[in-house]
Amino acid sequence: MQAIVFDGVSYVYPSGVRALKDVSFTVERGELVVLMGENGSGKTTILKHLNGLLKPTSGKVFVDGLDTSKYTVAQLATHAGLVFQNAENMFFESTVWDEVAFALKNFGYSDDVVRKRVDWALRFFDLERYAGQSPFTLSGGEKKRLAFAVVLAWSPPIIALDEPTIGQDSLQKEKMLHMIRLLNTQGHTVIMASHDVEFVADLRPRIIAISSGSIVADGPADEILPDTEILRRCSLHPPQLALLMARLRDLGMPRKLVDVDTAARLLVERLRP
Amino acid sequence: MSIFEGLRFRPGKSFIHRIDPRVKLSISIFILSLAAIYVDIIVLTLLISVEAFTVARAGVLRLWLRTLRGSIYLALLVFIITLVTRLLPGGPLAESLGYAVTYTYRLVVFLTSFSLFFLTTTPEEIALTLSRLRIPYEYIFAFVSAIRFTPVLADEMRSIMDAQRSRGLELDRGRLLSRVRKLIPVLIPLLVNVLRRSYELAEAMEVKCFGASKKRTYLRDLNIKPSDYAILAAAITLFATAIYLRVMGYAPLQILTGLELFNGM
Repeated sequence: MQAIVFDGVSYVYPSGVRALKDVSFTVERGELVVLMGENGSGKTTILKHLNGLLKPTSGKVFVDGLDTSKYTVAQLATHAGLVFQNAENMFFESTVWDEVAFALKNFGYSDDVVRKRVDWALRFFDLERYAGQSPFTLSGGEKKRLAFAVVLAWSPPIIALDEPTIGQDSLQKEKMLHMIRLLNTQGHTVIMASHDVEFVADLRPRIIAISSGSIVADGPADEILPDTEILRRCSLHPPQLALLMARLRDLGMPRKLVDVDTAARLLVERLRP
Repeated sequence: MSIFEGLRFRPGKSFIHRIDPRVKLSISIFILSLAAIYVDIIVLTLLISVEAFTVARAGVLRLWLRTLRGSIYLALLVFIITLVTRLLPGGPLAESLGYAVTYTYRLVVFLTSFSLFFLTTTPEEIALTLSRLRIPYEYIFAFVSAIRFTPVLADEMRSIMDAQRSRGLELDRGRLLSRVRKLIPVLIPLLVNVLRRSYELAEAMEVKCFGASKKRTYLRDLNIKPSDYAILAAAITLFATAIYLRVMGYAPLQILTGLELFNGM
């Protein structure tokens, strides 16, 4: 069964801006998808449709088979958890523990389940030792992880992340990479908006490239990321490895390659006398 | 929150945009004062038509209408309070209704009177206007920043609401008291962000040597044009006439027969 279906979706903001123009795509359960595109291309608008914060002006959005126009945000949020770009600015509880418990209480879980899930989420994101502290005392990276824990505590089958790597150092990004992979292998459908090409290259997901509200390409990372034409339309620059491979075409290196390990192996094979 | 839209400047090149800000400020004050001294539906209608005509000429009618829409709840509150306080001591229904409608109407004119000024005047022009009125720059800066940041805050509040709704918070469900309690997850992050932003702003100001010299100069200066004088003269004449009529005890509704209902206002 499909996790997400966008069927001819257009969205016009009250200000009159046409953010999405006849967007159609399907995401299967357990897929890992990254939406790439320039600022204002419509990435966040797509993510906000997943839990019904926005309802399509025309067309239909199905999440876990549910027509989003017929359900409330609270109902859809249990299916699709959305982590906002600056979610670390949305904390309000007095302790990290309560911050994670907030959503679980809203969804009406019993105290016992709330306790178990909060403890699990804090452990998963390596935040256990801060459980009794104020969220405001955490470092930038820890706040970001808390923002994830806050949504993942209820383990929504679909996880939507808006620009998760912005303002994060490379160690934090690496942790995030592992975490996204882990969640994905555990069966969660992950859909993410990002223009961090290097991060996306490491993740090697399916990429949906968007430009001014329309899909311009949809395919595996190996195909899309080395394609300078598509990336240019989305105001993006290819990852360094793809650029290097393009320059080394004379050595017989494949053009479509974004995986460091394979690239290293092929290079060694060709350079060794 | 759309009530704040009336404070958001929209760039434009219309005739209204080019009127000297001091003249526009005077007109806004005239409208406000007239709405304060006349509790008369005809005068209020005249005032609001003047506003509507000017904002339409400036091409910001839609924004202005949004301010109107944003004031509906406040207006409704005033309507109910006036109606109840008139009816309870035993006032006749028709007269009470008349009062309620007029008071509500007056509030709307109050709220929208300054949109004309704010919607068509750049923050820089507002600062210049105030400095010409010899207000110290520290206060001007605080005032202009408040105006500039109000729409930003409204946007931020919207995105905080979105984030908390994504965490299962249902803002529009439950009894009044529980709804008020549900605002806590929205208001605390908003307050924290406001404080953070004010510290950032203070640092940015220090970096740019705020207050380094006593006498500030401005990139642009206000130059009043002959057409501005003409508009001001016309506005003052109308305003003076209105005041004179009021002092003499004339109000259109009292003159019109058959509408005794509104008598004694």
